[in-house]
Amino acid sequence: MNTSQNDKIENLQAEDKTALSEVAVFVENDQRSGTFVLKNSSTICGHSQQEGIELLPIAAALKKYNWLEEKYFWKQISKDKSEITRACASSKTPLGYFIMVKKGHKVTLPTQAALYMAKADEKQIIHNIVILEEDSELELITGCVTKQGIDKGEHIAVSETFIGKNAKFTNTMVHSWGSEVEVKPHSVTVVEEGGSFVSNYVSLRPAGKIVSNPVTHLNGAGASAKYFSIILGSGSSEIDLGGDVYLNAKGTSAEIAHRAVCTGGKIIQRGMLIGKEECHAHVDCSGMLIDPGEEGFIESIPGVKAYHEDARMSHEASIGKIAPSEVQYLMTHGMKEKEAISMIIRGFLDSDIKGLGPELDKRIAEIAELAGHGSE
Amino acid sequence: MSNILEIKDLFVEVDGKVILRNINLEIPKGEVHLLIGPNGSGKTSLLMTIMGYPQYKVTKGSILFDGKNLLKLNITERAALGIGIAEQRPPTISGVKLKMLLSYLLDKNPKWKEEIDKEIENSKMKSFLNRDINGGLSGGEIKKSELLLLLSRQPIFTMLDEPDSGVDIDSLELLRSMINKLFSPEEEHPVKRRSGLIITHSEGIIESIHADKTHIIINGEIVCDGNPQLVMKQVVTSGFESCIKCNNLQGSV
Repeated sequence: MNTSQNDKIENLQAEDKTALSEVAVFVENDQRSGTFVLKNSSTICGHSQQEGIELLPIAAALKKYNWLEEKYFWKQISKDKSEITRACASSKTPLGYFIMVKKGHKVTLPTQAALYMAKADEKQIIHNIVILEEDSELELITGCVTKQGIDKGEHIAVSETFIGKNAKFTNTMVHSWGSEVEVKPHSVTVVEEGGSFVSNYVSLRPAGKIVSNPVTHLNGAGASAKYFSIILGSGSSEIDLGGDVYLNAKGTSAEIAHRAVCTGGKIIQRGMLIGKEECHAHVDCSGMLIDPGEEGFIESIPGVKAYHEDARMSHEASIGKIAPSEVQYLMTHGMKEKEAISMIIRGFLDSDIKGLGPELDKRIAEIAELAGHGSE
Repeated sequence: MSNILEIKDLFVEVDGKVILRNINLEIPKGEVHLLIGPNGSGKTSLLMTIMGYPQYKVTKGSILFDGKNLLKLNITERAALGIGIAEQRPPTISGVKLKMLLSYLLDKNPKWKEEIDKEIENSKMKSFLNRDINGGLSGGEIKKSELLLLLSRQPIFTMLDEPDSGVDIDSLELLRSMINKLFSPEEEHPVKRRSGLIITHSEGIIESIHADKTHIIINGEIVCDGNPQLVMKQVVTSGFESCIKCNNLQGSV
């Protein structure tokens, strides 16, 4: 249990708290095991309040632990990999969070982290490290959001996650951006034997441009990864959302399920499974178009690549529109047309994705509502 | 007694083709009528037209529901007046679970929740709640699901399209008891039964549900009506052919 020196949570205004709650970060919620808030380039708070979990600003953690730089910092991603990594590596004092769950600790309450941009034309550059030691468990909610009315900015994030033997990590990321913000996350996760990684991604208000291709390496036998993404494209947004999973060890498994609703803008959904050992995996990219305009589209590109004869992998992609007969049927039960469309979108978004939990269910309902309005 | 439904001189087209012509039909409040006719005669089209499906274009005539002009209203507005329908082949909606629609309906009509919970228990439908609406269900299961949804909002006028076709013998009794609940007296008027129109080919319906009148529709026209038992007996004995002949004779007089 720890508290950073720069806690200033009381300095957050009501409008800041409202913005954070939009992405499921509730700063006054005692039902969280830890809270990290970065506002523009200032760390507002970074503390944990449950045994077994340590949450610090990354700069403080690097000072506190020499081994962090030696073993984890920039170890999964090369500083020279891209423009993004170079920009991030050039920061003198890195911004971002460090979370570590100690061996055998199962953190019962979710931890939350907010990356919040409240100024126009701000460039937020972040480096996060998450470490789950053997047999530990953590659920992390990460909310990335711009304040209402802030349309421009740039958010660059490098994340390195290490999931130890038999550890379980669920990361639910909720994005809500200004219409011209550019978002370029770069994340790599390593999972050891028997470990599990679940990544839920929900985009409520799309950024002007999002390019994201999280990579997971399942290095230990029996390790698993699940990526679920739910995105709403609108206006002139450009979303290129991928996901590569390397199944490097025997008995590993992976599932990628992308769901996109396009009421405008461009959406590219990718998902690549690379089987290097006996494994099984499936990738499914599904999209729904609702009055996308002349320029709007969804492109779905699921892929599989096998290096081992016992790698069982499959993919599917589908894009469709809402059938009028379905809307009319729900209307016979008394629903207004918009309500019927929202219910159908909601069904599409969480079809075949089990156990998202109440927080994500709420966000899906919001997306369905927003997309339903877009069809007017 | 005033009419809950009053259709006058109704002509309907689908994709430019006339499918209903010169329909005249009155259903007094508190009465349940049956609609029978050969396949393709326009039975389902009439129900869909009353419900307001926009594909069914009314080119002439009127439909009044409790004195209100239905033709100005969309499907939702007609449902809000208290019209309900159980379709013969309702669509499957991927991802939309039966429980989602049930919760929507029961949020609006919380007073029925307890009864619906009992109904789910009695009809053994608990396992269907997490399935897609009408997805992977047998014919009989779809009928049960449709009736359950209707019971969750208790329309004052219910239209059923072949509610007992494709239903196994063990489920028939349960299904018919659900239908009778739909036509039970209105809460505000304990002596006034709710009304409806049922498409059927089944003699069993007449035995288990009190119907007041049967209408016969052939080639898009209502050609005859009468006592449900007598009409059904005639049709079972001589088929709809006899109705066509009878109607031609009447027309030539």
